[in-house]
Amino acid sequence: MFLHQLNPTMKAFTIVIIVILLALIFDPITPSILFLTTIILMFVGGKVNWKRYFLYLLPFLLFAFGMFWTTLIFAKQPDLPGQTITILTFDFPRESFIVALALAVRVLSVAALSLLFIFTTNIVHFILSLIQQLKLSPKIAYGVLAGYRFLPMMKDELKVIREAHRIRGVNQVSTIRGKWSQYKRYAIPLLASAIRKAERTAIAMESKGFTGDRSRTFLKQFTVSGKDWLFLVIMLTLYAVAVYTSYSLGFLKLYDGEL
Amino acid sequence: MTPHVTVQDLSLRFEFVERDTLSGISFSLEQGESILVLGPSGCGKSTLTLCLNGLYPRELDGALSGDIIINGKPTLSYKPGQLSRIVGVVFQDPETQFCMLTVEDEIAFGLENIAVPREEIEERIDDALRLVDMEHFKQSTISTLSGGQKQKLALACILAMRPNLLILDEPTANLDPIARIDLIQTIKRLKSELGFSLIIIEHQLDQWTDLANRCLMFDKNGSVFFDGSMQQAIRSHRKEIEGEGIWLPKVTQQVLPYVNDKTHDVPLTLEDFSREAHLWSGIQWDENVENIELETQDIFLECNQVSYIANDKTILKDISITIREHEFVAIAGANGSGKTTLSRILAGLQRPVSGTVFLGGKPLTEWNEGELRKEIGYVFQNPEHQFVMNTVYDEIAFSLQMKGVHESEIQERVGRILKLLGLTSYTKNHPFTLSQGQKRRLSIATMIVDEQKMLILDEPTFGQDAATNYEMMLMLEERYQRGTGIVMITHDMELVHNYADRIIVLHEGEVVADCRPAKLWQQPDRLLREWGLDLPIQVKMQRLCKKEDQYHVPTST
Repeated sequence: MFLHQLNPTMKAFTIVIIVILLALIFDPITPSILFLTTIILMFVGGKVNWKRYFLYLLPFLLFAFGMFWTTLIFAKQPDLPGQTITILTFDFPRESFIVALALAVRVLSVAALSLLFIFTTNIVHFILSLIQQLKLSPKIAYGVLAGYRFLPMMKDELKVIREAHRIRGVNQVSTIRGKWSQYKRYAIPLLASAIRKAERTAIAMESKGFTGDRSRTFLKQFTVSGKDWLFLVIMLTLYAVAVYTSYSLGFLKLYDGEL
Repeated sequence: MTPHVTVQDLSLRFEFVERDTLSGISFSLEQGESILVLGPSGCGKSTLTLCLNGLYPRELDGALSGDIIINGKPTLSYKPGQLSRIVGVVFQDPETQFCMLTVEDEIAFGLENIAVPREEIEERIDDALRLVDMEHFKQSTISTLSGGQKQKLALACILAMRPNLLILDEPTANLDPIARIDLIQTIKRLKSELGFSLIIIEHQLDQWTDLANRCLMFDKNGSVFFDGSMQQAIRSHRKEIEGEGIWLPKVTQQVLPYVNDKTHDVPLTLEDFSREAHLWSGIQWDENVENIELETQDIFLECNQVSYIANDKTILKDISITIREHEFVAIAGANGSGKTTLSRILAGLQRPVSGTVFLGGKPLTEWNEGELRKEIGYVFQNPEHQFVMNTVYDEIAFSLQMKGVHESEIQERVGRILKLLGLTSYTKNHPFTLSQGQKRRLSIATMIVDEQKMLILDEPTFGQDAATNYEMMLMLEERYQRGTGIVMITHDMELVHNYADRIIVLHEGEVVADCRPAKLWQQPDRLLREWGLDLPIQVKMQRLCKKEDQYHVPTST
């Protein structure tokens, strides 16, 4: 699939550019078009578990709606109080409505762009590509990868420690102070084992000849190809189309520090 | 020909430590030779590994003296990373040797480090996977592999780099017996195929001895007191070996009390033993006699049609078992058969999806947490998980204080336990600063101070050295004699044979056997293997002797 084959660094770069460009515009039409086209692009160019995708999108939807509603209700005095719009029998000034909508859709379009990256990129490939394209130090990159492996292990360990302490008869507390001291108690065994594990991993990595310098080869080589530029061009075109449409409809407005 | 590895008068001392971790070690190893390195835990065996692969002195906080010469050059003259082409190490813990997510990437990691060209990497990965018989796992995620597979992968990663010295640093300590034998077989095959030199650091010697007869024995002070064949060591240094807590092969342990003739070679393996079984007819086999009438004991814990499902996977299916008061029950079975889940449910730590567990006739769910803890104790695999206080004294006093026992009585009881554990001089230490064996003893002590009626232990011998296990079993035995029931998850069949009244075998979430150990050993070998069990050494030797008798009887009459 097209989106999955792109160079991860270039993909991230493209997404960041579009997000920055999007931040310059403050109207409801441009981000709406981008939001919809991003989702269509996911459909066409990516292989995605849709159930999971919408599950991830859900919190953003709720957040966007909350933002929309509060902005609408607590809007400042409109300049043109005459123009109103009716939602569910309530009248709202048209101007406030547009500001609220612009804010909400903005959140959604940024969310959709980020999800596009997250759902079509393998984290290991992303880090390897960062080493190869952006010259990230292997010391840091492989450290991050090893740490990434640790997270699920630590989660399991926390569960075991919790049970072990329960067996010792440490009372389950409900006060905030009690909870705090309880977590402090979990922290010592958890950190002690994390440090030991990290040390062992470091030794194992070093004894496989890892020195952290850049003179290494790669099994998975990442290069920037025509496809990546094509993706950048597609995204920029989408952006341009969105801005032009918004302009034609008379909505286009540059961002001016509104909230 | 110059030796492959020469170590001359090597001494090493860590910063802030008052004594040498390694002192005055000298030995040499020929190309293609194998050697076993033995010694009590903390004697510096693993430190030696890091000296040999060049990590020390580069990464060492401390001082090192003496020379290590590999392939005619001192290790210091190799550039960082260069030695990894010559020396490969497989470490003990299968969880912490990897830094990538998939099998393929992990093997590639080492090759990328030494700048093998890309085309060749692919080829070498396939080669290495073929050597350890894991071709089908090339694209697998490492976290989905079993412990044994992870160790084989660790081996493949090293083999891909084509070292001519392989160091195995307790590679089987965290594996179950079946996976252990599989790994050792693999190494044996590779050794004859590839002919590398081999340094094996181990606690449990069985199966290794026919791969390497020469052994290097360390004492507690980090110096070598013996270098030579195993047979010779048993003849001339038996006292020291026992004193240092070095574990001899199981067969040898069984036979040793009957050896009078000092010049005779003692058998090290079952094969050695079978060749001369007729010589050992005098051995008294421990029959594990029925010391208590089981049926007369009251039922303590009753498990009624318990099932457990997690993530759509059935872990336990309709388990119905009873555990009587003052019983020593072993729970065995292959990895993933549901042993740990069952033990957690018995202890009331997890709730079954369906079915009920009764304690004294009352469902566990109706027990109040505090009361339940006075009845059942649970010892976790890693002792550190259970420590909640900052000093050894407070650790033991903790549950007594929770119960509101009077301060003077606490002092008296804690004092008694500390004396029993041999930890009197450590009262003010933090539990985490104790040695491995001390931690294990302390963790059990914190559980038995309450005098619970039953103690559940989750693989307490896993990844611990033999001396620690021996001490632990002494403690448990004493407790058992005083009336505490014990339920232990274990892979150790010798332990089951020696101690357990009853063994429950789980296979794919179901109870397939629930009987006396002696009765289980009569099951066909094929079935036992399918359940992930191996016969205890005593039973195997006993059978060999019997076979021998039958063979000899007709000829002698």
